[in-house]
Amino acid sequence: MSMTEKSYSIRSRMLGRSAFLLLSIFLILSLGVWHYARQSANYSYDRLLNSASLSIMEGLHVYDKQVDLDLPYAAFEMMQLANEDKVFYQALGTQGELITGYPDMPLPAKMSVESPISFYNGHYLSEDVRVVIRHKRISEPSVSGWVTVVLAQTLRARHEMMIDILYRSFAVLFGIMACVMIVLWVAINRALEPLSSISKSLASHSLVSAEPIQTTPIQEVSPLVSAINDYQAQLLSNLALMKRFIADASHQIRTAQSATQAQLDIASQSQNLADLPEHLSKIRTEHDRLTRLTNQLLTHAMVVHRGDAGVIEKLDVESVVKQLLTECVRDNAHRTIDFSYQCELPLPLFMGDSISLREAIRNLLDNALYYGPEHNQIEILLQTDSSGIDIIIDDAGSGIPLELREKALERFQRLANDLSGSGLGLSIVTSVAEAHGGQFFLEDSPLGGLRARIHLPKEGVSC
Amino acid sequence: MLRKMTLILMGLMLLVSRSSAERPSINLELDSNQLIIFSATDIKAIAPVLNAFRAQNPTVNLEYHEFNTQELDRAIRAKPLEDQPDVVISSAMDLQVRLVNDGYAQPVLGEAVAALPSWANWRNEVIGFTYEPIVFVYNKQAFKNKAVPLTHESLASTMRIEDGFFANRVGSYDARRSGIGYLVATQDEVTSSISGRLQESLGRARTKVYGQTASLLDDIASGKLIFGYNLLGSYSFARERRDNSIGVVIPQDYALVVSRAAFISKQAKHVSNAQRFVNFLISDEGQDVIAKKSELVALFPDIDSLVSQQDVQDQTINFHPIPLGPALMVYLDDSKRRRFIKAWESALLPIKGE
Repeated sequence: MSMTEKSYSIRSRMLGRSAFLLLSIFLILSLGVWHYARQSANYSYDRLLNSASLSIMEGLHVYDKQVDLDLPYAAFEMMQLANEDKVFYQALGTQGELITGYPDMPLPAKMSVESPISFYNGHYLSEDVRVVIRHKRISEPSVSGWVTVVLAQTLRARHEMMIDILYRSFAVLFGIMACVMIVLWVAINRALEPLSSISKSLASHSLVSAEPIQTTPIQEVSPLVSAINDYQAQLLSNLALMKRFIADASHQIRTAQSATQAQLDIASQSQNLADLPEHLSKIRTEHDRLTRLTNQLLTHAMVVHRGDAGVIEKLDVESVVKQLLTECVRDNAHRTIDFSYQCELPLPLFMGDSISLREAIRNLLDNALYYGPEHNQIEILLQTDSSGIDIIIDDAGSGIPLELREKALERFQRLANDLSGSGLGLSIVTSVAEAHGGQFFLEDSPLGGLRARIHLPKEGVSC
Repeated sequence: MLRKMTLILMGLMLLVSRSSAERPSINLELDSNQLIIFSATDIKAIAPVLNAFRAQNPTVNLEYHEFNTQELDRAIRAKPLEDQPDVVISSAMDLQVRLVNDGYAQPVLGEAVAALPSWANWRNEVIGFTYEPIVFVYNKQAFKNKAVPLTHESLASTMRIEDGFFANRVGSYDARRSGIGYLVATQDEVTSSISGRLQESLGRARTKVYGQTASLLDDIASGKLIFGYNLLGSYSFARERRDNSIGVVIPQDYALVVSRAAFISKQAKHVSNAQRFVNFLISDEGQDVIAKKSELVALFPDIDSLVSQQDVQDQTINFHPIPLGPALMVYLDDSKRRRFIKAWESALLPIKGE
């Protein structure tokens, strides 16, 4: 068997298989018909043989203390109904002695008078014959015992009748099969017609045009059409999102670039050398912003890509968080920020992407550090319950007012313009949470600031 | 795909038909170009037919042996299958049918066979090629001032009324010795309800019985007999044509018709000649020769010319061809024959020591 499947036509495959099936049915039916034809031919002519033998039996009488046969003409006239067949007969007396007829008829090996009549096939005078053997009890004062009449007939009429029935039945069968084949051919062509019409309309259809494929009244085909239309709609909405993202991203980058450019222009035109450090620091700030934006964009792209690619491994959330916290504490050693870490229960291993998750948590920590006050308090909580794992980061900052929280989750939405955020951080977290089948929430922190909570379900990505 | 299916089907049907139609192969051996015929037919009567066949097939060396019907049957049964003559012809249809039934014959091939009337063909193995009504023959001189009986019925009553006229002067076949006589007597019994009465009348008239048609006809012509009952029409008509002293009557109530039956031996040594000969007998040409030149009567005779001599009453003659078939074997059953002959003897030959 070759690994690559050869191309084939459904039409010819269906037709071929139906033809094969029909042929099998035809063969089985033919066998049945043959059996039936043989049976009915035998049945008809056995009755003839039976009545003729009965008639001969009527001619057996006792004359002068001897059984004698007065062969009835009617018996043979009856036999002549099979007008092409030879006739052989024999009458046997009470001792099994020949009364009259052919002396050496083929008799069954064991003669029993149990059944008054029996039929069998034999061979006599180089002809195949059907034989009937009939017994009758004679009880007269002079003679008593069983007498036997053996009557045989060649098989020509039987064969003729059988062939006749066979031919007729075959003709009918063949006719039916031919009709079925024609109907099948038409039906298969009709059934495959929507397929070709859909592929025709798909070929002439542009995927990015907003126009859906025309719906069809055919129930079996409409799921396909609606699936294609759904697919197209999804593609279009993704495309729109991407367009907006690109537009937003380029706007952000240009803004940052033009700000840097403006500071550079001011610095180069400034006559006063004493002002230079100030300009430089502004340029540096703008440049930092640009760098951060670029990093965040790349992170976002990476997170989205990894989410789409479905990179999954066994990961220990606790160690990821601990490592991040360690880094964070080390980087912010110069600031008076209170870090605390709390993990109530040992967390189960979780199936997910450690790199994406690390980025998400890092973003949340960065946000808490960045937007929080100088004396901040940051608390990391890891909780687990039956529904999944919660990664919670609380701070004691100013928080985000309830009405702005939804807006904060959108891309490129910075709540405070003066700060150099990229507007992508929370969007990255949302993407990561969604890629793991979880959710991201902004809530009130018991510390007074914002609580960012990532909920990762046990099921979903984990398995 | 459909065509493939059809082909398979046709193959199937062919198989079925082949197994059913068992055609014997024609053995075309021409080692010696002979044709041996055993026949119960006067050589004089059939000679024109044989001559016509010889003229058509000059290279065939034709051998003709004449028998009487019962001798012929005994001769055939005495020989083993491989020593049989090629063609066997006899007017004793019953004996011929029994020979065929017992496997002495092979099918006659040819289109003419299929065209035969059904009574003149059994299994394509034995075929009748003549149409010979069973007739009354009378001495014209004796019946000069008398009405000739035209039906079985009138014959029976005339014989009873005028038994002095008929006494000792009626002749018929000897059913014991003559095959055709036995066939006709038994078929009379099968066909007609008055045959018993007629036999009784014949017995009362002390009917003389003969083994040969020729001697019967001789005696009627000479005046020794005045009436012959149940004679073979072929010889009688031929004699009537030659001899003015006798007249022939086809009985008008019913007339049995005997057809001379021919078959080809199962192991005939000269099969192709035999096939040719039998086919010649039933061909238009052969039938023409039989009708015009021989003393036999062709299968589809000109009935009008046969009956022109007698004044047919308003009714047409009811011809009753004896059909070839196994029913003819009934009276050949030993027991049945014994019984029939006994009845026939007691009816026809009441006085012992004839």
